[in-house]
Amino acid sequence: MSDWFSAASAKINSVVEGIVAALMLSLVLDVWLGVVDRYYFHWQLPWPEVLARYLMIWAALLAVSSGIARRDHIGLTAFIMILPVGLRRTLLVAMDVLALALFLYVAFFGISFAESGAPRQAMIFGASLAPFYAAIPVAAALSSVQLVLVLFRDLGSHIDEPPFATEVEETL
Amino acid sequence: MIVAIVFVALILFGMPIGFAIGLAGVVGLIDMGGTQFLAIGPSKIFNGLNIFPFLAMPFFILAGEIMNDIGITSRLVKLAQVLVGRFRGGLAHTNMLASVFFAGLTGSATADAAAFGRTLVPAMVKEGYKRDYACAVTAAGSIIGPTIPPSGLMVVYGSLMGVSIAGLFAAGVLPGLVICIVCMAVIAIGGKRENLPKALRGASPREVWDTFVSSLTALAMPVIILGGILGGIVTPTEAASIAVAYAMFIGIFVYRSLTFKGFYAMLVRTARITGVIFVIIAFAGILGWWMSFERIPQLIAETVLGLSDNRYAVIAIIIGLLLIVGMVMDITAILIILAPVLVPLTQQVGLEPIHAGIIFVLALNISLMTPPVGACLFVLSSVTGEKLERISIKLFPFLIAEIAILFAFAFWEDAALWLPRMLGFAQ
Amino acid sequence: EGGVIKFGHDNKTDPFENPAHACTAVFSNLVNSGTNGSVTVEVFGSNQLGSAAEHVQQVRDGIIQATLTSTGALASYYPRIDVLNLPFAFNGNASTYEVFDGEFGEALAADIEAELGDVVVLGFPDTGGFFAVTNSQRPIADLKDFDGIRIRTMTLPSHQKIVQALGAEAYPLSWGEVYSGLQTGVIDGQMNPVPIISFANFAEVQQYLTLTNHLFSPYTFMINRAFFEGLSEAEQATIRTAAENCVTASRGLSRIIESSDRGLAGLMDQIEVTALTDDQRSSMAAATQPAFEAHVQENLDEKAAELLASFKAAVENANNASYLD
Ligand code: NA
Ligand code: NA
Repeated sequence: MSDWFSAASAKINSVVEGIVAALMLSLVLDVWLGVVDRYYFHWQLPWPEVLARYLMIWAALLAVSSGIARRDHIGLTAFIMILPVGLRRTLLVAMDVLALALFLYVAFFGISFAESGAPRQAMIFGASLAPFYAAIPVAAALSSVQLVLVLFRDLGSHIDEPPFATEVEETL
Repeated sequence: MIVAIVFVALILFGMPIGFAIGLAGVVGLIDMGGTQFLAIGPSKIFNGLNIFPFLAMPFFILAGEIMNDIGITSRLVKLAQVLVGRFRGGLAHTNMLASVFFAGLTGSATADAAAFGRTLVPAMVKEGYKRDYACAVTAAGSIIGPTIPPSGLMVVYGSLMGVSIAGLFAAGVLPGLVICIVCMAVIAIGGKRENLPKALRGASPREVWDTFVSSLTALAMPVIILGGILGGIVTPTEAASIAVAYAMFIGIFVYRSLTFKGFYAMLVRTARITGVIFVIIAFAGILGWWMSFERIPQLIAETVLGLSDNRYAVIAIIIGLLLIVGMVMDITAILIILAPVLVPLTQQVGLEPIHAGIIFVLALNISLMTPPVGACLFVLSSVTGEKLERISIKLFPFLIAEIAILFAFAFWEDAALWLPRMLGFAQ
Repeated sequence: EGGVIKFGHDNKTDPFENPAHACTAVFSNLVNSGTNGSVTVEVFGSNQLGSAAEHVQQVRDGIIQATLTSTGALASYYPRIDVLNLPFAFNGNASTYEVFDGEFGEALAADIEAELGDVVVLGFPDTGGFFAVTNSQRPIADLKDFDGIRIRTMTLPSHQKIVQALGAEAYPLSWGEVYSGLQTGVIDGQMNPVPIISFANFAEVQQYLTLTNHLFSPYTFMINRAFFEGLSEAEQATIRTAAENCVTASRGLSRIIESSDRGLAGLMDQIEVTALTDDQRSSMAAATQPAFEAHVQENLDEKAAELLASFKAAVENANNASYLD
């Protein structure tokens, strides 16, 4: 069963990471365009600065779910590591449930937040703010899904060996 | 009170700090008035991140990723090695000096931590430094970034309090250099105990020259960035995107080692690291809104400031207050909320406005690396995978040294105002 | 009946330092005393509760009760506010008072209230006076002097159109980067009301200031409708009177700041100031107004065109009226 959750989490995450990479690339190109425009083309484009902020928010918030899938999010572990394994895992599962509650809250209120952006102008492309505000409920919903999946995948065993540190060193 | 208990309990039980901050904030909102205030959450998340200068962080992380991948970093490290390798802790000293140089490029400590966390920390680890120590050195040096101009925080302070920004910039130069020197002294003193590596023999002039030549492309990078800023081509935030452009250019056309697959992985990793840091900033927005609405920082300030009206006591209390609040709150929020409460007091005890400003900026910069809420710690922890608490322990001597420097400049007006006075910004 | 007005704004919390806080200070005093404390006001300045645009949302949601918001921040909720950006409209501060206190002000308030549905507009306080242009290249007196100068604007299409019609280039830049952008020459100039130019220390990094007086952009003072309607008639009347005094205070303080060392008088020593002749102003008006009107035609609705027409008529009346005459 744990395998199924693991596979589902990884599958969703690989799609999300593809989208995130595309957003990051657009972000880089967008900021370059702003610089080149001001210095060379003199088109006086009104949108690169605004679009950069919205791309950054979409990319970073979507990546939050990716961080959940990979257990990247930073916490203090000194105290919980001295507790007996059974208690520790129970507490960590409880923390996952509470985190899930937090993201469900953000997703739920995020929907009306995104709706509140619909009648408001974003000042670029004649668009409303809704597609940009939608980053909040979409990212929170994705994070909630990932939290459920990794909760059952790990059942509190995930800080027995933190994954991220080793991976970084391998890249060198 | 209940908010504080929830926050501490969640953090102790291993909940990621960003989520714990978020839940504490939500508990605060519910405590204030049932469900009435809950709608504020998504808006604080979005608007807390909707800030253009935040781009510097992901861009410097990405530039660091590329530099590592194509070998720019290792060439620079090799150069540092042949130049200072025979000194114990040579690379740690290099890290500190590099922060001074980098400070001229950026106004943000997190950009410094992001750039060095992806480049110098892994290089130091490879040379035999413990990772927590390498992170601590980087964190200690990162606050030189917003101390030596340009400085984002000084711009905010200057326009908020009506103090000359150029004057604050001038006042930051000396403390920035002193922080570097004192931290290098801390490295030197602790070098034996930390068992920092050193090379067995010095390099020959020939080796030095060859290494220098092979790292020219790398050395050109800061020159190009600085040229872009001072030449009026880019803002400090956009400069980070120039770093990405240059690293890509070298990777594709000079070293020809940057692959599409590699670049894809770098983009994803950059976004993930950014997401980890931004989720903390975002949720801190909810907690900060609750604190503002309940006027909690002002309450604390009023309570503490009734204690004395002696000049030095007031300065010490203000610094203490900033450092303590700085442990749990984002520094820009502190600046906006506490500066209007505290700065009039500094005027009552006769502090020069620029002097008061530099005390504020230094104290808040130091707060960037005090746990549990310290943006530089978060960046380093997520960029390197090192544990927050382990970095914090190794950071302790540096933290003490920097707080001592802060007090020295706070009590010794002539030193703090030497450069601003010379340039005519202060009497 | 009765209650607490949580009042958010985005300026410094010193009533002698800026018009917004002067306005809220006068308002709180008159409301607290005039209702014998049944309605009290708590002011949150300096963006403590969020940006100006967030304040509007919080008032609409009833999370806070009142705010002063800039036209830029209101524009995303009420795009027609853009018609106030008609360049080179007013010939002096007194005309702005007449327009915003008179029939046009009432019509504008009614339109905002109808459009948003959940607020009551209590007035249009002063933000600190007319816009001036600063730059690092040359003194600007004539249209030709604008040629090729790169000016930072807010991300507001109408402001960009106006700058471009003057012959300059317009680039949006985030507020946090304006000072260093001016310092290093990423951009040559910027435009803002004089008190903002003064306290943002732009004189440190700019050489020339031109008193173009090309834009006047008031705050909109709004209060949550449900809250307001829940008050007794006497309380509502007290609040309206207090709001009127708040507007007056913002104007008085704006004029004082302009004349003190925190305004134009202080800037005179640090930056070369150019005032425009009537001819120079009319040629700039002739260059920019058609471009602005085309922008309103293209980007805003029919009602905006009507609002602009009545705005122009009101401004013309006010410009032609003279004091105590
Ligand atoms: Na700096
Ligand atoms: Na801190």
